[in-house]
Amino acid sequence: MRVPAEGTLRAAATFVATLGVGVAAYIAIAEADGGAPACFAGGGGCETVAASSHSELAGISVAAIGIVGYVLLLGAALLRGDGARLAGFGLALIGFGYSVYLTWLELFVIEAICQWCVASAVLMTTLFAVAAARMLAYVGTEP
Amino acid sequence: MSEGGNGERRERLVKLGSATAFLAIVAVAVLVVVSQSGSDGGDASSIEGAAEVRAELRGIPQRGLVLGDPEAEVTLIEFGDLQCPVCKVYSEEIVPQLIESKVRGGEAKLAFRNFAFIGEESVDAAAAAIAAGEQGRGWDFVELFYRNQGAEASGYVTDEFLTAIAAGVGVAGIEKWDEARQSDRVVDQVAAEIAAAEDLGLTGTPSFVIEGPLVDGQDVLGTPGEAGPLEDAIEDVA
Repeated sequence: MRVPAEGTLRAAATFVATLGVGVAAYIAIAEADGGAPACFAGGGGCETVAASSHSELAGISVAAIGIVGYVLLLGAALLRGDGARLAGFGLALIGFGYSVYLTWLELFVIEAICQWCVASAVLMTTLFAVAAARMLAYVGTEP
Repeated sequence: MSEGGNGERRERLVKLGSATAFLAIVAVAVLVVVSQSGSDGGDASSIEGAAEVRAELRGIPQRGLVLGDPEAEVTLIEFGDLQCPVCKVYSEEIVPQLIESKVRGGEAKLAFRNFAFIGEESVDAAAAAIAAGEQGRGWDFVELFYRNQGAEASGYVTDEFLTAIAAGVGVAGIEKWDEARQSDRVVDQVAAEIAAAEDLGLTGTPSFVIEGPLVDGQDVLGTPGEAGPLEDAIEDVA
């Protein structure tokens, strides 16, 4: 399969990471002061997930960690060179793996689905695919 | 750079990419381990089990702290203390069986009464449960409290903790609930429920009592260690 030009991959990663910053920022703001993001379908999934202990990691909001992750991925997408390719790949793999874990928690531990968390998981999966393609196809080549 | 040099550099970087992938996987594993090191309960900032409780009680009518069809002729009464660890075990292992086998189908209704004897925190928790019952979330409150119960009399039953439980079960009017739980009316109700337990000669929690067409008044069932004897008692008095 033909891999898109690196510029196209970087542009896609920039777009998706920006969306990710927006989604994570919305969740973080909504969860501040004990609130929860608005779930379009109702059913209380977002409130349940927000109230769960898994919405924090070592006392830090997972949404806030998400903002940091997406900002770093945005930086990796904007920068050229092998350092950015490798860093973007590594960060996206961490984000993807952790998103898989969080989705598993939603389905089987918390037993509630928050649409915003699913949206973030989809964005992170997309970023991982783009970053992996960029790293495998272009690492070691001229920027 | 020569073509061979470029190839070597790329090969080196792909190896570096593999190492990066390995480190990323290790990082995810660390995140998972940190995430799994949860609290031991009694933590207002990490209320768990709301979905489980909602699923357990879904579709069953509630009035105050009475769960089930109001027309059911048999009433199984659980005298419990929200701080009592044995009650927590019953709440998680025995009560769900009773709900599915006898309450959901309308054969019996299940009433929770507060035998709040462990301490002042138990009384606060009991009043909060009664106040939640006034908004149709009494059993949700009791069940979610048990799922997040902390160590007995350790000071975890704070206003913040009780409010987190009430919010977790969807009490819509938190201010109204807050006023009610501190009112003389509700505090007096807790005292009356404790007195009722003592009048029945109960000495511990959870203790079960049954009312039904074939019972003259109330029969004390005590604390059977499983759902079976309670189910049998419901059938016997129906």
